[in-house]
Amino acid sequence: MSSQHSVKVVSPEQSAKARMAILRRLKFSDVIFENLAKAAAYTVLLLLGGIIISLIIGAWPAIEAYGLNFLTTTRWAPSLKPQPILGALGPIYGTLVSSLIAMIIAVPVGLGIAIFLTELCPHWLRRPISIAVELLAGIPSIIYGMWGFFVLGPYLAVHVEPQLIAFFADVPVLNAVFSGPASNLSLFNASLVLAIMILPFITSIARDVFTTVPPVLKEAAYGAGCTTWEVVWNIVIPYTRVGVIGGVMLALGRALGETMAVTFVIGNAFKIQSSIFAPSTTISAAIASEFAESGGLHQSALILLGLLLFVLTFIVLAAARLMLKQLETKQGK
Amino acid sequence: MTTTHQDPSTSASVSGQARPETISVKNLRFYYGDTLALKTISLPLYTNEVTAFIGPSGCGKSTLLRVLNRMYDLYPGQRAEGEVIFEGRNILNKNEDLNLLRSRIGMVFQKPTPFPMTIYDNIAFGIRLYENLSKAELDERIESALMKAALWNEVKDKLNANGLSLSGGQQQRLCIARSVAIGPEVILFDEPCSALDPISTAKIEELIDELKSDYTIAIVTHNMQQAARVSEYTAFMYLGELVEFGQTAQMFTSPQDQRTQDYITGRFG
Repeated sequence: MSSQHSVKVVSPEQSAKARMAILRRLKFSDVIFENLAKAAAYTVLLLLGGIIISLIIGAWPAIEAYGLNFLTTTRWAPSLKPQPILGALGPIYGTLVSSLIAMIIAVPVGLGIAIFLTELCPHWLRRPISIAVELLAGIPSIIYGMWGFFVLGPYLAVHVEPQLIAFFADVPVLNAVFSGPASNLSLFNASLVLAIMILPFITSIARDVFTTVPPVLKEAAYGAGCTTWEVVWNIVIPYTRVGVIGGVMLALGRALGETMAVTFVIGNAFKIQSSIFAPSTTISAAIASEFAESGGLHQSALILLGLLLFVLTFIVLAAARLMLKQLETKQGK
Repeated sequence: MTTTHQDPSTSASVSGQARPETISVKNLRFYYGDTLALKTISLPLYTNEVTAFIGPSGCGKSTLLRVLNRMYDLYPGQRAEGEVIFEGRNILNKNEDLNLLRSRIGMVFQKPTPFPMTIYDNIAFGIRLYENLSKAELDERIESALMKAALWNEVKDKLNANGLSLSGGQQQRLCIARSVAIGPEVILFDEPCSALDPISTAKIEELIDELKSDYTIAIVTHNMQQAARVSEYTAFMYLGELVEFGQTAQMFTSPQDQRTQDYITGRFG
């Protein structure tokens, strides 16, 4: 009440001055913020560049010694005298094929889980399944490796591989892919472990993007008399294509680079064999299993393998971008 | 509260002849979980006529529309009791084939809902679900559907453009063309013009007027003038009840119920 009398009368100039001072202070903090954000963004570029450069420097002796032959040689003989013979074809083949098989298994299953969770699942079951899928992503890869080594591998070798080999024995082409002998450590085993590991990525990203489809769009499709399958196939997936492909690519990146679990179960054989039940190796598995006791040209070649994995992942991501762009133009955007 | 809506038979006798009903709603009750949203509603949709559902927000008119093609089935916890007779069957029956039902009772939504594909495919999509046509027949059907939706002249040169590239009004007519192409008996419009400008609105209203010679139409609208312009019959709903049902001209000139009078003169809602 008495305060009403003590209200200060501020002239327009005074209040303008006060505001300027406040604005200056805000401006200063804004500049700091902007520079911090900028620095954070540039750090990424710096790190990426640094990693590439150090990889190239480390790989240089091997590049000089083998050149392009490195890409076309299968033989891997690091202790050969006077100079070891080293070729990357085996690990490249193993990396690509194990990832491919993992994708063939994990993409349909992962999308299937996501479709079930968003379109079909009764409400009370949604959370348990979602949590289970996310927990799958939380299991450390070393545990997948041990499980693949001690449980899955022996099981496959006894109960799955012989049956598949027998089943495809008379089918041309496929009988070479599924040929014996069954083995605990194999490309197939690694692919299966990889598939389980990347499943959560595909599922959770697909589930998230599926929920972005406007309900009214789905209603419109159901309103035209579509079945759930038709709605998913014609509306939900086309609408979310970009996001789904993004998730699949993220999973593929993960599969290409996965190291520990694969090293456990793939058998580390630098050979290219038509049978997926034969042991093989991948780039990351080769590096992990040999780097500790390597030296000289051998070590340089392993670093070169790492560089190749980098390039391979980059190509995969670039191809995915290109594919998305083509899809958009085809869609008429 | 008393419901003073005219008995359908009375209104039929007013027009001098017994009107055939495409859909008859009888004692319909609808629940969202435990909440009763429609309180024992009965009304007819007369064949080849436009019936408007009006009423303030939350009165249940959209809910009623969504019962007619069982759209509520997509969501758990929503259920309907009573009877909705269409082609001699109660479509609320559990074993009703929903895909078939929805192909017979089409729906156009408040916001335009073109599918993420080309204009051509947007319409071909619905046809392909049910019929296996040659390219030429399909082209013909698509042209006739777009003609019926008064969109053909605007899109005939860009059928391969994305449906989303059209303007809002064009998108809405595309959705109408899509519904028409499937060959339904009934088309349900859920506030089809509320997201459109006046010119597009006029076009859609004109279209509805033309479509009624081939289809039975129900339209939910917040716009009283629109109801007066496009419909022959109007149902006024309030708080989940059907307050009054009758011929539009009659309802707008001499409403039977005080609440109807208050609503259409703008005293509430």
